[in-house]
Amino acid sequence: MSLVWLVLTPFLGAALVAAVARLGRSHAAWAAGAVTLLALAWLLPLIPTAFAGSTVLQRVGWLPSAGVDLVFRLDGLGLLFALLILGIGLLVILYARYYLSPRDSMGRFYASLLLFMGAMLGVVLSENLIQLLVFWELTSLASFLLISYWQHRADARNGARMALAVTGAGGLALLAGFLLLGEMVGSYELSALLAAGDVIRAHPFYVPMLALVLLGAFTKSAQFPFHFWLPHAMAAPTPVSAYLHSATMVKAGVFLLARLFPALSGTPEWFWLVTGAGLATLLVGAFTALFKHDLKGLLAYSTISHLGLITALFGIGTPLAAVAGVFHIINHATFKAGLFMAAGIIDHECGTRDMRRINGLWRYMPHTATLAMVAAAAMAGVPLFNGFLSKEMFFAEAVGVSATLAWGWLLPVAVTAAGLFAVAYSLRFIHDVFFNGEPIDLPRTPHEPPRWMKVPVEILVVLCLLVGIFPAQTVEPLLSVAAAGVLQAPTPAHDLAIWHGFSPALWMSLIALVGGVLVYVGRRPLFDLYERRIEPHLDAKAIYEYLLGRLFAFARRLTGWLDTGSLPRLLGLFFLFALILGAAGLASDTVPLTGARALLPVDGISLLATLGLIAAALATVVLHRQRFTALILIGAVGLTVALIFIKFSAPDLALTQLSVEVVTIVLLLLALYFLPQESPAESGTPRRLGDGVLALAAGTGAGLLAWAVLTRPYQTIAGYFLDNSLTGGGGSNVVNVILVDFRGFDTLGEITVLALAGLGIYAMLEHLRLPGPARDPQGRPWDADRHPAIMASFTRLLLPLALLVSLFIFLRGHNLPGGGFIAGLITAVALIMQYLANGVAWTQVRLPGSNMHPLIAAGLAIATVTGLASFAFGHPFLTSTFGHVHWPLVGEFELASAMAFDLGVYLVVVGATLLILIHLGAMHTASHEAPSPTKGDN
Amino acid sequence: MTPLNLTPALPEIFVLALACVVLLVEAFSKKPEWSYTLTQLTLVGAGAITLLTAEAGKVYAFNGMFVDDLMGDVLKLVSYAAAIVAVAYSRAYLSERAMFRGEYFVLVLFAVLGMMVMISASHFLTLYLGLELLSLSLYTLVALQRDSMVASEAAMKYFVLGALASGFLLYGMSILYGMTGSLELTKVVAAVEQGSSSLLAFGLVFVVAGLAFKLGVAPFHMWVPDIYHGAPSAVTLFIGSAPKLAAFAIVMRLLVDGLHPAVGDWQQMLAIMAVLSLMIGNLAAIMQSNLKRMLAYSTIAHMGFLLLGVLADSYAGYSAAMFYVITYALMSLGAFGMVVYLSRAGFEAENLDDFKGLNARHPWLAAVMAMVMLSLAGLPPFVGFYAKLTVLQALVGAGWLWLAVIAVIFSLIGAFYYLRVVKLMYFDAPHANDLAPSGEADVRALLSLNGLGVLVLGLVPQPLLALCAYAIQTSIQ
Repeated sequence: MSLVWLVLTPFLGAALVAAVARLGRSHAAWAAGAVTLLALAWLLPLIPTAFAGSTVLQRVGWLPSAGVDLVFRLDGLGLLFALLILGIGLLVILYARYYLSPRDSMGRFYASLLLFMGAMLGVVLSENLIQLLVFWELTSLASFLLISYWQHRADARNGARMALAVTGAGGLALLAGFLLLGEMVGSYELSALLAAGDVIRAHPFYVPMLALVLLGAFTKSAQFPFHFWLPHAMAAPTPVSAYLHSATMVKAGVFLLARLFPALSGTPEWFWLVTGAGLATLLVGAFTALFKHDLKGLLAYSTISHLGLITALFGIGTPLAAVAGVFHIINHATFKAGLFMAAGIIDHECGTRDMRRINGLWRYMPHTATLAMVAAAAMAGVPLFNGFLSKEMFFAEAVGVSATLAWGWLLPVAVTAAGLFAVAYSLRFIHDVFFNGEPIDLPRTPHEPPRWMKVPVEILVVLCLLVGIFPAQTVEPLLSVAAAGVLQAPTPAHDLAIWHGFSPALWMSLIALVGGVLVYVGRRPLFDLYERRIEPHLDAKAIYEYLLGRLFAFARRLTGWLDTGSLPRLLGLFFLFALILGAAGLASDTVPLTGARALLPVDGISLLATLGLIAAALATVVLHRQRFTALILIGAVGLTVALIFIKFSAPDLALTQLSVEVVTIVLLLLALYFLPQESPAESGTPRRLGDGVLALAAGTGAGLLAWAVLTRPYQTIAGYFLDNSLTGGGGSNVVNVILVDFRGFDTLGEITVLALAGLGIYAMLEHLRLPGPARDPQGRPWDADRHPAIMASFTRLLLPLALLVSLFIFLRGHNLPGGGFIAGLITAVALIMQYLANGVAWTQVRLPGSNMHPLIAAGLAIATVTGLASFAFGHPFLTSTFGHVHWPLVGEFELASAMAFDLGVYLVVVGATLLILIHLGAMHTASHEAPSPTKGDN
Repeated sequence: MTPLNLTPALPEIFVLALACVVLLVEAFSKKPEWSYTLTQLTLVGAGAITLLTAEAGKVYAFNGMFVDDLMGDVLKLVSYAAAIVAVAYSRAYLSERAMFRGEYFVLVLFAVLGMMVMISASHFLTLYLGLELLSLSLYTLVALQRDSMVASEAAMKYFVLGALASGFLLYGMSILYGMTGSLELTKVVAAVEQGSSSLLAFGLVFVVAGLAFKLGVAPFHMWVPDIYHGAPSAVTLFIGSAPKLAAFAIVMRLLVDGLHPAVGDWQQMLAIMAVLSLMIGNLAAIMQSNLKRMLAYSTIAHMGFLLLGVLADSYAGYSAAMFYVITYALMSLGAFGMVVYLSRAGFEAENLDDFKGLNARHPWLAAVMAMVMLSLAGLPPFVGFYAKLTVLQALVGAGWLWLAVIAVIFSLIGAFYYLRVVKLMYFDAPHANDLAPSGEADVRALLSLNGLGVLVLGLVPQPLLALCAYAIQTSIQ
């Protein structure tokens, strides 16, 4: 489990460091160093195994259902990177101890650094791609913390955000690519993937997968055109740059290329995409680096350029190129980390990084200058330094591959040009900073840094020299085993000698060296050209910002269009989308709209009734602003519907419809009385037209749907009820039997709801008093006589008749159209007529029982007791029974227990309806002028 | 007639009874604390009953109208937990705004009951019943702050649009009834399989539109921003969490359980809606300056992502979607919980600007919020990453490559606005209006647990993933 602990150690260490930092500044650094050493200790025992060429796999169960275990893998490549991460990490920890100023929080710095270290170790030691991705994104997050370490600086915040946006985006693309890879191979584990290269390359998804994976790798490794975030990330403290931008974070991208090399490489797509991006990056980076006045800016572009070189090497795809790529990873990490640290020392001691002001430092810090010069020579690729060796190999590979291509000669030319610029910018770094006259206006007087700040640089520089002079004795074993890890095959024969004879590569190196010096000497016109002509146009960051701006603009437009907060608009959109969906659904159905069922013949009366219905509905729409007229027209619609029910032999429904219609119209009239008689016109003609079209379309859709369903034969549930109504429920009025018997429980619920609704309205209206309008819209006063005598007299006469009708309807309900519900409504209407015609006060005096609460309670109680009674006979709740009695005069009469239940329904309906209507009426202040001192409510 | 078996519905019966008790307690006691305690106890009790009656099979009750299975049990348990947490978070907020009354608790309990019925529905009627019970409770909850114009407007809009969506759903159901002759999902699926699928797609669109509204998926998402924004934060907190679980459940019941033979039809509709949601949700969220509104739009995007899991049409996809919705509820509680926690009397911490420099004043709260935001953005090691990962995996596994790519692209845009919140909290200077959390220590602890849960579940997602997979496998044929 040592690999698991190796990766976990920095994470746990981060917490430790954050805790220890309270004790003192050095404690944090010591703790961080100790943690890194501990991690190294976990690694050490495994090194011999890795050097023997075998792969160490260690597995912990983690997410089996997603095909993800926590598996760590250590082979040559992983080992190389782990050593780089831990080794350079250790140096950076030491360096940062002296670099950070007393104002900076040590704990936060070291904790973030260790987090990053852990994440990076996770990336290079992961066997599973998903797990690798998790760590990959963690490096983005941790680097975000590190780059934004100086939070007070706006450039740090923006740089951090940009780095996170670009690399985070790449990470997501990578996720998609990994998912595809996993689908192709059936496993996310590298062991399987690396062995399945042929399957992957032959897969139809190879190209999209490759594009996605490369997107991830290129964004992370700052490849053109995604390179722009790296220079902005230079706002980070220099130790962070030395760590992230030399050895670790940006190397994650090329690590991925190396890791997946056996699985993905070897196709034309791979060659052109990877080599193309690499070469473009190499050239753009090398060229731009020369013109940067910021010390770290120069190094940043140089890093970009070297990453391009490594990428191009992997793109070339030959085993030897891969060896060269790995070699350059090592070399670049050592000399660039040294250079960044040197740049940090200079920045630290001079207070600026502007090379136009930092001059002639040789005099002030010769020791540092020597170190920087060695590292810069390695960067330039001067013989006897390590950079020379891998660059030579690169040149040789470029020449080799150019022979196989049309226009191939361009490749060595481009590569040499890049080498030439590398020499020029390295020369500038040395000459501008350490010679070139006297410093100009520096904030501080430069001097040598503390002893221990230089030690890390010294170690790195010594490494550069050792590798450069004795490559075979120093780096060869590690390089071999790492390259074998990349290739998943034995390392091809290669010769790490300094002298290869007069090969083309040597000539190219010579041209680059001489040319580079010449370019540097003649740099003035080039600088002018660059600053006037090229810099304003060659700015990938502008593209990033442009794209971001476009995205924002689009988002703003979209939001503005959709998010207006206007309800009519929302409703309109709602219907529109429903229509589109419906149309799509209709179009996708292959069966005809009209079903097999034969249509009924159209007779004249039905036609007339339907036309009347349509006319009334249309008139309602047209006249809807005149509320009373519209209400009456709606009433007409309701009545026509009742007629249609009669036509289709549903007298019961017609009766219900009729009585409900009357009650609701009265209810609405009472409510509308207090509102203006006309609704204001709120929308213009275009809007109404649009809404009209939408309404027509929606109506047509609904009509079509109804048509489609009704023209198809289907089995209704009516048969069951028709068969069982008389035998089971003792009534031939199926509707009523359903209400009181089959679905008696539902009805009990419904009347309860009705009762509660009545009480609710009562509670709300109890103390509400509104003045009614005194004049009509034309300004004419209303008639002072509210209760005309003729009308009052006639309604009084009507009352007993109406009550008789309702009793009749109630009694016959079980077998013939009628029942408690309808009877209740008729009684309610009859009573409400008295209120309307005679006034609330008058009626209340004469109707002492006008407190409706007991009525409602009685109704509910009767219905419930009827239901409970069946328990007494050992039957379930609401079981009904019936028998026949002989009444004198009337004759045979059927008496069902359901009738008692129906009585409950009747009482509740009467009570609740009256309660609501009376209180709506009683809202009017005029209802209370009467001499009666009643409270008006009950 | 099969004998009446009440055991599967025991939790529902329990909640109903206790909700009525809370109503009575409210009527006779002047102490809302009683109602509060009783409500929490009810939810805990319901959890206990659900746990005790949980079985690994499908048990039907009430003549096939009601089903009790493991998927339902898990979703119910998470719903109770979400409700408990939401009510706890809201306590201080509500009492500062004179809403800490029995009505709130009763409505929450009825909403929970509605969700439970929805989750266990195996019949169009039961499903609709639950849906309406939930919806009506939510409409009222939104309008609870009667003196707030914004809240009243939000409630009005919610009601009108919600009624319309319910109408659509009913319409679709009645068409399906007309086509298949049954309202019972098991019979519907049998009828559809036998090929009476004529015009099915036509009816299906209405069902899908209705469901889409309840989930808050584009193009039926329009209510979400207005309602999330307008409702009192404590109510938004509730609406944004548990009801999503119930909405997921009815999608599973209706589309997967009931209409699976028509999978080709609804897959396409879900795909279009998912893409639209991802696009509209993520893009519009960028432009918001109000955190509640931003989260509302992000909800739309998340629900779109959820649909991706469902339309992958595999056990892996369904369980990924279930995992997604559960973890989303957790994250949503954390985010809105923070809004509620940081608000105090007369001040709503709902604008993005209010969170500026939170780290300087309350580093721990900022850390909790940052964890929730990063998780919502789908960054590892937080649980949001695994939610997205499993959905994407299922999607790629089902061959919906282009959808996976679109989902990734929009997640990327989505990450942007979550990171903006992190940036505001950590990098910007504190706002003049200092945030003074008014909540008690227990709420703070709960909130911390909520935030840590996002991290812990991200480090060890396996148990929950396995649970979801098991629940789906035992519950979906």
